[in-house]
Amino acid sequence: MAPPRSRLTRRDALRLGGLALPALALPGLLAGCGSADGSVGSVLRVAQTSDPKTLDPQKQGDLTSMNVLTNLFDTLTTRGPDNQLAPGLALSWISPDPLTWRFKLRPGVRFHNGEPCDAKAVAFSINRLLDPATKSPIVELRYVKQAVVVDELTVDLRCSQPDPIIPAKVSLFGGVAVPPGYLKQVGSAGFAKHPVGTGPFTFVEFQRDHQMRMRANPGYWAGRPSFDELVFLPMPDPSSALASLQSNEVDIVASLTPDAALQIQGYTGVAIRNYPGIRTSYLSLDTTAGPLRDVRVRQALNHAVDVPLLIKAVLDGKAREVPTMFPRESFGFDPSITPYSRDVGLAKRLLADAGFPNGFDTSLTAQTGDSNIAEAISGLLAKAGVRARVNLVDTGTYTSRLTSNNRSALGPIYLAASTGWTLDAESLVQSNVRHDRRQSRWSSPEADRLIDAEELTVGPAGRQRAFTALQSLLKQEAPFVFLYQIDNIYAVNTRPRWQPGVVGVLGMANAQVTS
Amino acid sequence: MTAPTVSVTKTPAAGTGVLRVVVTKVLTAIVVLFFVATAAFFLVRLSGDPVKLILPPDASAAQEATLRASLGLDRPLLTQYLDYLGGLPRLHFGNSLVYDQPVSEVLLARVPATLELAAAALVVALVLAIPAGAFAALRRGRAGDSGVMAGVLIGQSTPAFWVGIVLILIFAVQLQVLPASGYGGFTHLILPAVTLAVYSVAVIARLLRSSMIDVLGSDYIRTARAKGLSTGGIVVSHGMRNAALPVVTVIGLEVGTLLGGAILTEQVFSWPGIGRLTVEAIQNRDFPLVQASVLFFAATFVVVNLLVDLSYTVLDPRVRVTS
Repeated sequence: MAPPRSRLTRRDALRLGGLALPALALPGLLAGCGSADGSVGSVLRVAQTSDPKTLDPQKQGDLTSMNVLTNLFDTLTTRGPDNQLAPGLALSWISPDPLTWRFKLRPGVRFHNGEPCDAKAVAFSINRLLDPATKSPIVELRYVKQAVVVDELTVDLRCSQPDPIIPAKVSLFGGVAVPPGYLKQVGSAGFAKHPVGTGPFTFVEFQRDHQMRMRANPGYWAGRPSFDELVFLPMPDPSSALASLQSNEVDIVASLTPDAALQIQGYTGVAIRNYPGIRTSYLSLDTTAGPLRDVRVRQALNHAVDVPLLIKAVLDGKAREVPTMFPRESFGFDPSITPYSRDVGLAKRLLADAGFPNGFDTSLTAQTGDSNIAEAISGLLAKAGVRARVNLVDTGTYTSRLTSNNRSALGPIYLAASTGWTLDAESLVQSNVRHDRRQSRWSSPEADRLIDAEELTVGPAGRQRAFTALQSLLKQEAPFVFLYQIDNIYAVNTRPRWQPGVVGVLGMANAQVTS
Repeated sequence: MTAPTVSVTKTPAAGTGVLRVVVTKVLTAIVVLFFVATAAFFLVRLSGDPVKLILPPDASAAQEATLRASLGLDRPLLTQYLDYLGGLPRLHFGNSLVYDQPVSEVLLARVPATLELAAAALVVALVLAIPAGAFAALRRGRAGDSGVMAGVLIGQSTPAFWVGIVLILIFAVQLQVLPASGYGGFTHLILPAVTLAVYSVAVIARLLRSSMIDVLGSDYIRTARAKGLSTGGIVVSHGMRNAALPVVTVIGLEVGTLLGGAILTEQVFSWPGIGRLTVEAIQNRDFPLVQASVLFFAATFVVVNLLVDLSYTVLDPRVRVTS
């Protein structure tokens, strides 16, 4: 006998469905009692890719962390709307001798717990940063030996060698003031759990990978922010961050790439805003080996990479071509030096002169996130006959190789970028030009001399002369392929009014929020 | 129902048998965890240098050396390894290199969100998969079966990041009835739980279907039918029960996957779970945190497997004897 075919009658189907229905309806019912966020007053919600690594401002050294912490903490100097250095916790600064920087502090500033932010607190902060026990990843105060209290509102930073850009260096990480009394009371771990600063917002709550909430500081020395609460939301995925913006869960999505920003172009109620930025990209060339030893080959590569086309085609126009390594807004940038002409024919002639009429094979290493740019550059190089195989590595591997002792660890050509947030050209050539610096793959006594001149001279005129000469030399010798400075890109809804500086730090004290 | 030869021998050894099983399994688990811990320790160290990632690229070699020493990473590898092993029995995993906080603290803070998401996803998966699998089995070879199986196939072959984004676009952006991402109220849980459940629904429904088809073709079902029981009664009290065994195994494995495999879902929905923490830890080469998360996943999997094994003894008395 054949096995009977099992039949599901309508009654049975309804019964089975009946079992499933309550479970399906449950989320809907509970959704009705979903909690409101419980906050009072006007709120500004900012999404960026990740959370601060720690809330102790002296134990982090990345802009993502600083973007959040700059709202809790003040720095000695700051940047005005014109991107120029402006008073922060310090009202003025001078260099009484080449090895000292003297800061006059703003009177009457207090930490959120009421502690005075005076010379003692500032000196304590700098010295805490310099103490190896702090394990601080902040490296730019490398020539500062110690901070010394001169009087109640005067602090000296004593250096082991001249450092002309100390005032710029204390506009972010190294310039933060932390409360000595509070730290003594709660210890470093307690401080990182509940940070206390002098900044425009006070700490409310931090749940890692969920949210960081801050409230407007009514006693802020520059006046209370115009809205009540500031929330930072970590959103690693740009597509869902933009969806959150469209469903009104976020007001600003920061640090977008041009292609991510394209996703929401044309939607109503949200807008893409791009502002000039300073993150500057270039190709590092290994001038010590192979065809790249020949200056004509290096010049040919610069002629071959059509940067304006690259910006238009791959970066949606959201970048600016740079003549050499320096972004326009940096001290030291010389506008009289122009970018390479883009000319494939000339590139081919230069290659032929150098003995490579049929081009050559090489490789171009980049981080996985930069794959589209790297592929495009490889395509442009191929037009001139240079066949650069793109080699993608993850950020961890890339960074380890970048700073390893083997200077060719990333291959003959790699794509690099740096954010010279000091807005001084020094930061862009600090580690990759002078022959003895770790990322340098070029040896030029003249360049070494110019680096020494700009690093060790305190007067701006002398430094500018050195930078101008250095830019001419860089363009002539082409130890890099110079690319572009990319814009800072944000997606916003209609609520906030806020404009970032070129560094792109997410300081929100002056933002306005309309309801 | 069960064969008489088996039921005769089962009763006396049952209690001690279970205990022996548990002891053997626990010992095996410890060995497994030891190997996992060792592999995690050495593999993560092959992958890169956290000091280089913590410091900006323009740090000097001296600054690197100072930080390396203060993090204890300059000590001989064997010393670090023994230190690490020594801490494990006391659940001391060291301090996170990046967050500068005890690893156990960082990890434990994320457990609730992960458990919440995994539990919700499992509920969604069961609620959808059991009726779907049963329905398909009963409608075997007909349009209903093909429809369900096609849906299941699509579910199984669609990546979580795509399902997640589509759900966000429909329910958060277009309909605006659910939040797009984040963590908090119950509403935040729905989309990630559904996204995470999609794959499990497919796995469970397919297995339940084939298992049910086997069972429904067996003699005792025919007998039950001949006795005049309703189809619903047969399906629920005879079919489901006997088809459950392989399904329970897979559900157990799915729990392990849901707890550890939520990485993409957590990323898409900005969910503060362990998967996302682990990805960040790996990206940062935060050795202690990577080691602890890997151990957490391994331990979860081992425990779930143990529970599945034990559940057999409840569901199927024959298993008690064979073990």
